[in-house]
Formats: sequence, C-alpha cells, structure tokens
Amino acid sequence: MDFLRSIGIAASGLRAQSGRMRVIAENVANADSTGDKPGADPYRRKITTFSHHVDRDLDANVVTLGRVARDQSAFRTRLDPGNPAADATGQVKLPNVNSLVETMDMREAQRSYEANLNIVTATRRMISRTLEILRA
Amino acid sequence: MAITMGAGAYAATQKLLSSGGQAGGLASGLSGATGGGGFSAMLEQAIGSVAESGRKAETQAMAAAGGKADLVDVVTAVAESETALQTLVAVRDKVISAYEEIMRMPI
Repeated sequence: MDFLRSIGIAASGLRAQSGRMRVIAENVANADSTGDKPGADPYRRKITTFSHHVDRDLDANVVTLGRVARDQSAFRTRLDPGNPAADATGQVKLPNVNSLVETMDMREAQRSYEANLNIVTATRRMISRTLEILRA
Repeated sequence: MAITMGAGAYAATQKLLSSGGQAGGLASGLSGATGGGGFSAMLEQAIGSVAESGRKAETQAMAAAGGKADLVDVVTAVAESETALQTLVAVRDKVISAYEEIMRMPI
C-alpha cells in the first residue's frame, strides 16, 4: 500500500536526520578537544553527507547517511604556553569547530526531522480518514 | 514484508467490498462461500496478517525496551500494525451490520 510506503520513506529521513544529529553532537562535545602531544592535531570537525538509493522492499528512493567526511579547513590557534599540547612557539591548535555553525546545522536537522514527522502524521490521518468511509 | 501483508489485507477488503457492491458479485461470493473459500478464507488471511504485524510491532517494542532497536523502527512497526488492525475492525463492523440487516428482513 502506498500509504505504508510513504511512512517507510519518511522513516528513512528520520533515521538520516538522527544520524546527522549524532555527528553534530560529536562536533559540539569535542569543540575543545586538543591533541595529546605538543604540536599534535586536535579534533577535526566531521561533516555528514546524505545519499539516496532505491530500497528494494519499498521500491522507492530512500535517503541514507553517506560517508562521514572530515572538514579540511584550518584549525584555530591560541597562545597558551602552559598547555601540554602547545608547540615550541606556545601556540595550541584548537578544533575547527565553530559553535555558531553547529547550532545552525542542529536547527536544520531539527526542521528536517519535523518535516519527515509531518509526513508520517499526514499519511496516518489520510489512512484513518479513508477508513472512516467504512464506519459511516 | 509487512507492507505486502498490509497490502494483502487491503486487497481482501477491496475484493469483499466489490463483491458486495453488485448483485452478480454477491451471488458469486455466496457460491464461493459454499465451496469452502470466500469470506472465511478472506477473514482468516486478514486476521493472520494483522496478527503477524502485531507480533512484529511487539518484537520491535521489546527490542527498544532493551535498548537494541531504533525508535523509528518501533514507531513504523506499531503504525503499520495499527493500520492493519483498524482496517480489519472497520471491515468486520461493516460485515456484521450487513448481516444484522439481512436478519431483520421480514420473510
């Protein structure tokens, strides 16, 4: 039935967005994770990618979480000679996580999740409205 | 898997409705019933598919309680079984009301 298929497709969107949320949580949690040795690289920001593929059971294009890529932009640096991760010049490399960017990403994931939830709700309402024809 | 079962219940419903819709279809439906198939087979298949999707939903809910299943899987399985059950209940109510109407008919 098409209704159950659309619920299945929306469920794939929910799964993908929750995976995206997990990666954002990783980025936010590691916003201050420096390297363990002097001059070592700190945490590098992760980026989620989405890919589509044809699901055989549903016979439709569903979304899946693709490869989790690494953000190749430059690290932030801070002068902190006392830090164990500081290099010879006293600079400490900090992760290339921007909390503002992560917040916006999180909002986007939230909105996408809600859009997929709305599809599930609307589909269920259509099913129950159709069944009401039999009850009348 | 559960989707095809839900579709099966749906198709059975449509078959029942279309056979009840016209006099010729009703007659063939009755002859089918005396032959052992027909309504009882339809009911059996529909109840079987509802029970199956209900079991699936229960398995998912148990796995979620143990922290093993995805919340989304639980919700979709429960929604699927709910739909199948609602369809079955609606069809049953309709059939029973049709039966009662026939029984009230003055002979």
